[in-house]
Amino acid sequence: MTASGTPSRGVIHDLGYRPYQGPRLGEGAIARALVVTGLRNAFGLGRSGKSKVLPFVLLAFNLLPAVVVAGILVFVGLEELPIGYARYASTTQVLLGIFVAAQAPVLFSRDLRHGSITLYLARPLRAGTYALARAGSLLLATLVFLLSPVLILYVVALLGELDVVEQTKDAALAVVLALLLALSLTGVAGLIAACSTRRGFAVVGTIAVLLVGNGLVSAVQSVASFEGADGVGEVAGLFTPYSLYRGLLDAWVEGGGVTPPSGVGMEVAYVLVLVGLSAACLAGLVVRYRRVAGR
Amino acid sequence: MTAAAPAAGPTTAVVRTEGLTKHYGAVRALEQLSVEIGTGVTGLVGANGAGKSTLIKLLLGLVAPTAGRAEVLGHDVVTAGREVRAAVGYLPEHDCLPPDVSASDFVVHLAMMSGLPRVSARERAAEVLRHVGLAEERYRPMGTYSTGMKQKAKLAQALVHDPRLVLLDEPTNGLDPAARDEMLGLVERIGRDFGIAVLVTSHLLGELERVSDHVVVLDGGRLLRASRTDDFLDATGALLVEVLGEDAQRRMGEALASHGLVVRPRRQLLAIDAAHGRPDLHDLVRDVACDLGVGLVRVQADHHRIEDVFGTRGAAS
Repeated sequence: MTASGTPSRGVIHDLGYRPYQGPRLGEGAIARALVVTGLRNAFGLGRSGKSKVLPFVLLAFNLLPAVVVAGILVFVGLEELPIGYARYASTTQVLLGIFVAAQAPVLFSRDLRHGSITLYLARPLRAGTYALARAGSLLLATLVFLLSPVLILYVVALLGELDVVEQTKDAALAVVLALLLALSLTGVAGLIAACSTRRGFAVVGTIAVLLVGNGLVSAVQSVASFEGADGVGEVAGLFTPYSLYRGLLDAWVEGGGVTPPSGVGMEVAYVLVLVGLSAACLAGLVVRYRRVAGR
Repeated sequence: MTAAAPAAGPTTAVVRTEGLTKHYGAVRALEQLSVEIGTGVTGLVGANGAGKSTLIKLLLGLVAPTAGRAEVLGHDVVTAGREVRAAVGYLPEHDCLPPDVSASDFVVHLAMMSGLPRVSARERAAEVLRHVGLAEERYRPMGTYSTGMKQKAKLAQALVHDPRLVLLDEPTNGLDPAARDEMLGLVERIGRDFGIAVLVTSHLLGELERVSDHVVVLDGGRLLRASRTDDFLDATGALLVEVLGEDAQRRMGEALASHGLVVRPRRQLLAIDAAHGRPDLHDLVRDVACDLGVGLVRVQADHHRIEDVFGTRGAAS
């Protein structure tokens, strides 16, 4: 630009560098901020437009049956919900599996792949706390996915003047089961994603473990039931999060099903395995990120 | 080895290490490092594998030392790693920016990861991005950035929480000459105008000569030398002469030698050892050149360069 040229549109006044004298929050507040950002990122918020497509399409598909049920209930009027609160997640488990498998790498692989993990580890948050905060984001995202149809069904059931006490009891049980399932899915998908810097591997690995594993267990359970060896089917059910969920759903809510856990002992075993699996995976995550920090 | 503290030692040490040692199995990454680093800009020099990155990791409290201790801003890096990391900014050498996030969002997020409340984080991020010179492009995804813009974004995240010390690992790596000058200017401003202590590594020694007040030289995990940059650049006492003409350098060299001077050729220059302390040396050079009929291009005092330290190992300890 020449000296006589027209001045540019605006003028930036350089005030010089000003030190920050405001508050600095502790590790808890930092972890909470990371959880919230992670939850937003899991749905593509705060990221590129493209990354919002998959989670929201999956969420829409996941809600579609609930919306249809709501429509039927409102216009036709039914004595009970055509699908149970807890059964819903079991019916849409493929969508749930894809959601968790696809969004876990957003929270775990991305920082490892792009090296941004270094920037987190150079800040006050400890490696273990970082890992747990990331898992917290994935847990909340999974719960949003699992519980939003339950909420829709519950509201519709109340509007349809179904029995409040009964509906509330069923919905509450579904929430407890959803929490157990979400914890274990978060653990498994998170650990796989944290061990892979490539998104594709993480997605395929998680889907293989969750959906293919569940398919195998279902096949074993069917054969066991057909052969009259229910005990084998019950033990097989201990091996994947989905079959554990289905077993508890059959035992606690609906009755029936293929080789559900029989007796209190087996039910307790199902719960313990779900919780233990989650705890083991979370511990694995903490160890994994401590190793990353020390590299 | 007891390393000398900087000659004109700073009164307030920002970093202080005593016998700091880190072994990875059989690899001795850092060996008995005792050094003090003060305010202003300090250059950290060393070849690849000299222990620069290990030192930075130790100073951030990310790895525990095998032996010895280190204090950063008065905090022990082993027992108070969190306090250290809250007060230190770090610019890593390698890529660390997610491509699908804008610099603005990312710097705000990392400010919050350093404990700033959301509103303050936004203000600080805007201010720091302005200081490093990222204008409208701060709202674009960082995957679309040039290397220079990426380095600025990395610098912004290192400064956003107003640290008292920044560790800059090869901030000029991969930059073109114009972007490198801009980055060096920023490093200088951070140390002098912002009042933030800087520890900056580079394998280009000329850069460090330009911006740093002190230089710490590591070699094979050991301290080779730590002193003021000026001390590295002191005059050697030799006089450099460049002459022009047919076979000028040889003829000039021989003529000067015949006057009893010690002359060594150095590329296109002649280095005259002036240890004899002849006060009329400049006049003599002029007269000899005149007699020989060669063109005298320049006569200048010879200065040390930082890389000379690598040629005379151990001379400084």
